[in-house]
Amino acid sequence: MDPALIKLALGGLAVLGCIGLFFGIGLGLAAHKFAIQINPKVEEVIEVLAGAQ
Amino acid sequence: MKERMRHLTLTGLLLAAILVSVGCDTGHRFVKKTEFKDGETIVITFAGPVDEAWAKEKANYAVYEEPDPDILLPIKEISLSPDRTKVTLSFDDGLNTRQAHVLKTKEMLSEGRSQGTAILTVKKLYFGLLLSIFIGAMVVNNFVFTKYLGLCVFFGTSQRKATAVGMGITFTIVIVFAAMMAWALYQFVLKPFQLTFLNIVVFIGLVSLSVQAVDTILRKVNPALFKAFGVYLVLVIANCIAIAVPLILADNEYTGPESFMLALGAGLGFLVALFLMSSARERLELANVPPSFRGLPIAFIVAGLFALAFLGFSGMSIH
Repeated sequence: MDPALIKLALGGLAVLGCIGLFFGIGLGLAAHKFAIQINPKVEEVIEVLAGAQ
Repeated sequence: MKERMRHLTLTGLLLAAILVSVGCDTGHRFVKKTEFKDGETIVITFAGPVDEAWAKEKANYAVYEEPDPDILLPIKEISLSPDRTKVTLSFDDGLNTRQAHVLKTKEMLSEGRSQGTAILTVKKLYFGLLLSIFIGAMVVNNFVFTKYLGLCVFFGTSQRKATAVGMGITFTIVIVFAAMMAWALYQFVLKPFQLTFLNIVVFIGLVSLSVQAVDTILRKVNPALFKAFGVYLVLVIANCIAIAVPLILADNEYTGPESFMLALGAGLGFLVALFLMSSARERLELANVPPSFRGLPIAFIVAGLFALAFLGFSGMSIH
């Protein structure tokens, strides 16, 4: 195998991994920051109600 | 009201000033203006009359596209206006007006006096280019009607006018967001690292990322709008226009503003398509359609007719 190609592949893995990590952490932080409280009882009540339409 | 008028006038003046400065800046005192005309000719406007013998000599001009100085474009014909201030150069092949051209002249002669040599750049007004990208993506190359992309979402959400408009607006917001990120990532990460062969993978990730981000943020910041968008926000992921736009802007090496206009045009074009289709389909429900054609089949026929109508725009461009 051509070492240049291996280098490219490994570099690609590293770069894409970094991008993924970056955006993943970003989304995680956003989800944390913009978290909203959902009353768990809402789900329970919907569960109990008849489900058709 | 008065305040608003003043704002408008100021903005208008500013825009006019930018247009004027972009259009006339030639870098030589004897040459007033250089511009493309009709996509095939270059018009040079001089500050004074030039000698006819000088103007008509083809060897006095050298024209090439800015990135390829070695390839001189052959001049077919030169015409001079009666007052001898305007020279029109026409070329054997059409010009690629998207590209800036460089025009070099040998020593210019005016009334027997020399005005020196000039190296001029000829380029299309940048606003014109942006506008042509925008109109091109929105109408001339409408993604739904001329490229047949995003059809599943198109047929799925075009039954009611209200849902169609909701989907169109949501889609426009997300596509602009995703395209700008795709442009930045492509230009500043993928290209320097020679990873452009991975762009499909990256762009798909980016689209879902932007949908997720808009979903998360909107849920908190503007719950009313979030409720109005409803299920359409998630449906954007299933729309293939969202992946076509980043691929197109990467292929054509668009700059930031150009990418923005492309994405905006694509989004608004989708909105227009959805709106037209939903208007027609609301009428169709009242029409007397044969039973075997009711529902989706007649919708496909109507979409085909719309596509035929949009074919009338094909080949149009803004000079």
